[in-house]
Amino acid sequence: MTTQDLIEKIGLKPLSKFEHRKVNGVFVSDMLSDVMASAKSGNLWLTVQTHKSIVPAANLVDVSAILITGGKEVPQETVDLASKYSIAILSTELPTFELVGKLYGLGLGSK
Amino acid sequence: MSECQHQWEMTNIQFGFVVFEKCFHCNGLRTYFSVEDTPILGDKYREGDCFWSRVENAQSFRFNLQCTKCNHLEKLDDLMGLLHCTGCLPDCEVEILRKKYEAERTWILVAFGFLPQAKTRPIPAYKLDILTDYFNQRRDASRSRIKIVPFNLIEDLSLCRGDFIHDVGMLSLEPPKGRKPLF
Repeated sequence: MTTQDLIEKIGLKPLSKFEHRKVNGVFVSDMLSDVMASAKSGNLWLTVQTHKSIVPAANLVDVSAILITGGKEVPQETVDLASKYSIAILSTELPTFELVGKLYGLGLGSK
Repeated sequence: MSECQHQWEMTNIQFGFVVFEKCFHCNGLRTYFSVEDTPILGDKYREGDCFWSRVENAQSFRFNLQCTKCNHLEKLDDLMGLLHCTGCLPDCEVEILRKKYEAERTWILVAFGFLPQAKTRPIPAYKLDILTDYFNQRRDASRSRIKIVPFNLIEDLSLCRGDFIHDVGMLSLEPPKGRKPLF
């Protein structure tokens, strides 16, 4: 499953410029320290955090994409920074709980 | 010298807070790690000639690195946090390095020790190399890499507007829109 597949299957909205890549599991957290400690390379990171610090955190642990849930508005400076690092920021109106259900249904678990 | 090609993993992970305090008498800054979310001495207190005031309480964590092959343990309790350079000062050595390594798809992060002691006793270079190795082992390094550099490359901390990778304002109902400068 790639980021391209997820965008098409779930109807996610890409916000930043990035290269598609394989998604390896899902990580749900709103704390950067938790992501730094426990997220794995290739994970799809679900969060409601939109401050631009999510970009270096995502970059540090090499997530495949940051998925902002619940229709939270993402500041342009966060999107611009993500585009600069070629990190995918995707957006959905779905709440985290419902989105996790859909991802699990597609065969993505925590890895 | 060890012959082991270390393969690192995080161990002894402890979540807590990095507290930033400022003295409004001498403008000194100090930082420390605390597992308590409520400061024991309160938000403001006097210590000798210094009048300390808490300016930030960031949720963070500390950890050690251990080799999964030889069990060598490297303690990192002198690491306060990692800062992402925002390019605020074009002639800063960190910004110069950032631009240089960007072309090689290598992303720079600045390692800070706890202040003020880290200014005279910086985190040893070999520990920053180990930290760099750890984060590169944890990623697909064929796509991009990480390089950790010391904070003493920043000539004047009071001018630095980099962002620490830690959590602030997590107890607020609204996510924080911006961050106050810490130095």
